[in-house]
Amino acid sequence: MIKTFYGLETLDSTGALFAALLIGFFFGLALERAGFGSSRRLAGVFYFRDMAVVKVMFTALITAALGVAFVEQIGLIDAASQIYHMPSYYGAYIIAGLIFGVGFVMSGWCPGTAAVGLASGKLDALIFLVGGVIGSVFFNELFPLIKWLQTWGQSSQSSFGIPGLAFIYTSLGITKAGFLLLFSLIAVGFFWGSELIERRKIVDKEKTDPINHQTLQTVSAGIIIAALALFIFSGEKMPLEATRSTDSSGAVTTETFLQQIETAEDHVAPETLAELLYGGDVGVVAVDVRPPEEFTAFHIRGAVNVVLSELPRFVQEHKHKKMLVLYSNGMTHPAQARDELFRRGYRNVYILTDGLIGFREECLKPVSLRSLPTTPEKAAQIRAWRDYFLAVPPLTQAAAAPVDESITLPGLVTTDWLSGNMLKLKIKIIDCRDQNEYNRAHITGAVAISCESFRGAVNGVPSVLLPASLLAEKMSLLNIARGDTVVLVYSGDRLRDATLIGMAFERIGHNRYGILAGGMDKWVKEQLPTSSLLPKAGQADYPMPPTADAFTVDWRQTDDHMKQNTAVILDVRPPAYFSGEKSDEARAGHIPGALNREYKNDIYTAEGFSSFKPLLELTKAYAELIPSKNSLVVVHCRTGHQASQTFFVLKHLLGYKRVKWYDAGWTEWAARIELPIETGSPALNTNR
Amino acid sequence: MIPMDNHGKQYGNPYLAGILLGMTLLLSFLILGAGLGASAGLARIAAFLEGVLFPDHTLSSQYFGAWGKTPLSYYLVYMFCGIFVGGFFSAFSNGRMQLKVEKGKKSSVGRRFLWALVGGILVGFASRLAGGCTSGQALTGGALLLTGSLVFLICIFFGGYGVAYFFRRQWHD
Repeated sequence: MIKTFYGLETLDSTGALFAALLIGFFFGLALERAGFGSSRRLAGVFYFRDMAVVKVMFTALITAALGVAFVEQIGLIDAASQIYHMPSYYGAYIIAGLIFGVGFVMSGWCPGTAAVGLASGKLDALIFLVGGVIGSVFFNELFPLIKWLQTWGQSSQSSFGIPGLAFIYTSLGITKAGFLLLFSLIAVGFFWGSELIERRKIVDKEKTDPINHQTLQTVSAGIIIAALALFIFSGEKMPLEATRSTDSSGAVTTETFLQQIETAEDHVAPETLAELLYGGDVGVVAVDVRPPEEFTAFHIRGAVNVVLSELPRFVQEHKHKKMLVLYSNGMTHPAQARDELFRRGYRNVYILTDGLIGFREECLKPVSLRSLPTTPEKAAQIRAWRDYFLAVPPLTQAAAAPVDESITLPGLVTTDWLSGNMLKLKIKIIDCRDQNEYNRAHITGAVAISCESFRGAVNGVPSVLLPASLLAEKMSLLNIARGDTVVLVYSGDRLRDATLIGMAFERIGHNRYGILAGGMDKWVKEQLPTSSLLPKAGQADYPMPPTADAFTVDWRQTDDHMKQNTAVILDVRPPAYFSGEKSDEARAGHIPGALNREYKNDIYTAEGFSSFKPLLELTKAYAELIPSKNSLVVVHCRTGHQASQTFFVLKHLLGYKRVKWYDAGWTEWAARIELPIETGSPALNTNR
Repeated sequence: MIPMDNHGKQYGNPYLAGILLGMTLLLSFLILGAGLGASAGLARIAAFLEGVLFPDHTLSSQYFGAWGKTPLSYYLVYMFCGIFVGGFFSAFSNGRMQLKVEKGKKSSVGRRFLWALVGGILVGFASRLAGGCTSGQALTGGALLLTGSLVFLICIFFGGYGVAYFFRRQWHD
């Protein structure tokens, strides 16, 4: 299986940039050879004078389309996870296409051909490229006004778990191989049509080149034979519910694959799964692929509900987990899905032997009802499992609280917004100040809880965020239901207390949380209503969320990023701890190559309260450290507390897309003596 | 019928050039995991230039701002440079290098430059709206059989044929 730079998320690495340069070289070479360094030749297609554009474009399209289908067919690549696919926005593309066409015939160029034109000395290409730059700047300047247009008319199709990703064969309701054959015939038809058109336009028929015709015949035959071969051989593959809309070909059967099936290595016994889940192993995720109604009625505690069509995306997002155990009532659907995922290169997907039925029979059936005698140890274990797995109340559909769509959550909310909406939107307020501060006065209805309640020792590492199942229980006790809008309130400059609780919401996938900008100090200063009474008691049923999250990284992943230089590692501890002058840990210093920006630099205090610095200032400061909003960033501090604040700033205020959190942080890194460290101040002065 | 350029060797067979282009695209899918692209490189250069002139404004703008302080460290910028080098190499080795302005005999250089500039602006804008140009959207997405990309390709031809009549003098002798 080929792993691409895109699939490995390393398109920004030096290797990828070099590869892009080289591919660009051949791209330029092909365009120039085709005669696309000439605007007259390019524009010729619009006057039926020179049809080279049609010939080259369709030959390239069909060559690449057949090529991709072929490498997928032989199992060389998993296109879903390894090749970037753009969603279809019909409205945007129709408007853009029409404008583009007008620009094309006016100028005789498009961006790629103009680069080649300039390289071969065409001055009009240079002017066109200047225009292209100006047009791009126009787009940027108009963007706030036309942002909606960019995603206008999104396709209703959804493929590979990506909404709007539409395949033409699905749109037409035919098979992929069938479309390729049709497409090949259309292309060949275009070629012969183009030749006819050109012959009519050119008076001097002596110019007709016989070699060209021979090539055309060979190319036409080659394309049709290749498409026919694909059409015939694609019949072998079994359609799979999970990927029916994508129709990814996957007729590959490797030896290991068959061996695994033969030796049932792809199976996990019910007892094994029960033990792993009961033991709280966060690397194991039980995935319930049944319909949501059945999931709601009963599911294995801690399991997540993923419908088959969403499975490829889910698995891609959780590819670093140790085990993903698929289950349904029986085994047919999980087994089919697992086979397909295995072909796509995922090696961490398993199926539950005998499905949910088997799980109930083996692990949850009361000892008294069993026909075979059980040992006392086994009986005790079954009782413990029953207590654990059956304790989950069935999910109740949370009464949907009203939602204000005008604010972006997670994010900051203002005192004005909160005081105006807290009753209307039934906002749940969490006060994370000291309890005595809370007792004196708090926002009416707020519940008090320390951010420390959300973390503890896990696998020997002190102070890491608790597993999602425990967090969900805490949310239930706090009377927070799924879908509630939650506002976190801090005091002084302790924004990090609010952001740490924010991480708890992140882990359970609860996005409707905000932080009160200015905190309690601002609320009090503005003389908004407070109370010293406790809120009305209540309890909610927070459903069991997925046990895993996609943003927490461990020391292994951090170590990999450090070695391969695939992420910006951002240490947010005070500079003295970063350099190693001060230390409270096993070793002093920092992760080699890490950058330092103390979390406190993101906060200002004025007029008696603290909040985050203005966005522009933060944007500039982080742009110095992180190449782009798509760069992978790993934030860490000593215990994950301070880093939670930087995580919030980067992810929710500044819009960095790939922010990871090394929760165990320096506490763990320093104590693992096999990991390298570095001391001294950073070369880059980042604390400005 | 292979059109002869005034200088240098005749262009390659379009079908063979198309196969070379298709193979390059396939290679790009297999190595990079993404197709070819030219307009993104151009837009990144635009972001860089705007950033040089108005650093604060550019960084805080929604679209270019997302590319950070160094918009040029992006694979499609490198690909754009590669296109230029590849084009140069091919033109040079086939003796097709010549400093000139391409136009029909009846058109003036000034008019040709004006339309090249206006066309460039339209193409630059439309490429951002579509998230790619003839390479990044039409060719790449078309080869992946994406419906939107093929719709975009068809609309380019509609737009082009729709107004071709008004620009004929620019090209005809």
